[in-house]
Amino acid sequence: MAIDEKFTSIRKGLLEFLILRIIAADKVYVADMLERLRATPFATQEGTLYPLLSKLRREELLDYEWQESDAGPPRKYYKLTAKGRSQLAELNRYWKQINVTVEELGQSA
Amino acid sequence: MNKVVTVNLNGNAYSLEEPAYDALRAYLDGADSRLQGNPDRAEIMSDLEQAIADKCRRHLGPHKSVVGSAEMERILAEMGPVEADTGGGAAAREEDRGPKPRPDAPRRLYQIREGAMISGVCNGLAAYLNLDATIVRIAFVVLTLLTGGIWILAYIIMMFVVPYADTSEERAAAHGQPFNAQELVDRAKQHYSELREQGSRWHDDWRQRQRARREKRAAAAEREFWRSERAHGDAGYATRLLAGLMVPVFTALSGALFVALMLAVLSLLVTGGILDWTLPADVPVWAAVLVLAIAYQALHVPLRAASRASYETTAGSRHGWLAAADGVLWIGFAALLFWLAYLFVPEVRSLFDDIRYDLGHLSFVRAGW
Repeated sequence: MAIDEKFTSIRKGLLEFLILRIIAADKVYVADMLERLRATPFATQEGTLYPLLSKLRREELLDYEWQESDAGPPRKYYKLTAKGRSQLAELNRYWKQINVTVEELGQSA
Repeated sequence: MNKVVTVNLNGNAYSLEEPAYDALRAYLDGADSRLQGNPDRAEIMSDLEQAIADKCRRHLGPHKSVVGSAEMERILAEMGPVEADTGGGAAAREEDRGPKPRPDAPRRLYQIREGAMISGVCNGLAAYLNLDATIVRIAFVVLTLLTGGIWILAYIIMMFVVPYADTSEERAAAHGQPFNAQELVDRAKQHYSELREQGSRWHDDWRQRQRARREKRAAAAEREFWRSERAHGDAGYATRLLAGLMVPVFTALSGALFVALMLAVLSLLVTGGILDWTLPADVPVWAAVLVLAIAYQALHVPLRAASRASYETTAGSRHGWLAAADGVLWIGFAALLFWLAYLFVPEVRSLFDDIRYDLGHLSFVRAGW
């Protein structure tokens, strides 16, 4: 089994975390997010992203506002809510902890 | 030249070639059904439409105002499949953990050439029954001995009737899926999740197919009815009368044929020959019986067809009563023939007497083989 295939579920599970990170860093709309992820192993598509964003919004982790664009129709720009920010902080901590654990387990006891 | 369809994508008008429109329609319908139950379905759908509209605009310019099917295909591939819940949802993880879905191959009986002793019948049967081929072969030999050779017929018939597993799919079907509990559970689970996913779509589809099948059956029945009626109606009075007269003639022929077969077989078994002719020593009795049975079939099949055509010509589509009456007639006629043969043909009489004698000693069959 290819490495790529082995980590499919990890990538899928991490996507939500990464979206929160991207939105926290910048005010972005969907095309921006796709662009940021394009060159990474986490590249995804509208078909996946829109349902995910709507779920995160239902969980009140993020919200959007309409903004006029100079090329075409108004766009939805996403930003984190207070709840989203605190959850992201938690996720960041958890992620660091996972990294430490992975490193430690690789070393001889 | 292609027809152009104008669509409204989230408030934007776009012109699409008809195949492009069909592809888009299929994509959006699929997305819509997968988002069923999602509280934000309408919003996600309009987001998706908007995204598609943006991509369409990128493909259009001052000299190009219609989106073609190749472009639409590229656009939809960029969009990617719409996932039921969320990217990292429970459904997606479940799908990763589960076993890879296998093509659902029902087990079929084939002859398998690889490792065959004669033709592959036992080999295929062993695969079908999930037994060792040696066990099946021994069973065949034992059954052949027990039945005094008749079981060989089963082998010969299967040799001609059972197809060979030639392609890899057929070989897979010959073995079916490994038969253990875990597989069964996995298959049931897979089946269940498929059913749940397909849900009402499957049900509608099933109902539609049922309806189509019903209609087809009704049409076939009707065609059959009219064919019979035509055979009935087209025939003039004289033809119908003749056909009616022919019914008992065919019946008599068929009955006589049957009686001849039975007498020949009995004679073979008891005396080892028919009338003056005796079976050569190196030809087994069962082979002679087989030849007789095949000869009987060869004569009987056209006779049956002719008698059926006579019914239809005589009585039209409602020839059931005639067929039933004819069956009774056939039995009576065959019995009569047996009786007459016993009374007036000395060979037949001695044959029956032999049988009666041998039955008393319970040895005639074994002596015959």
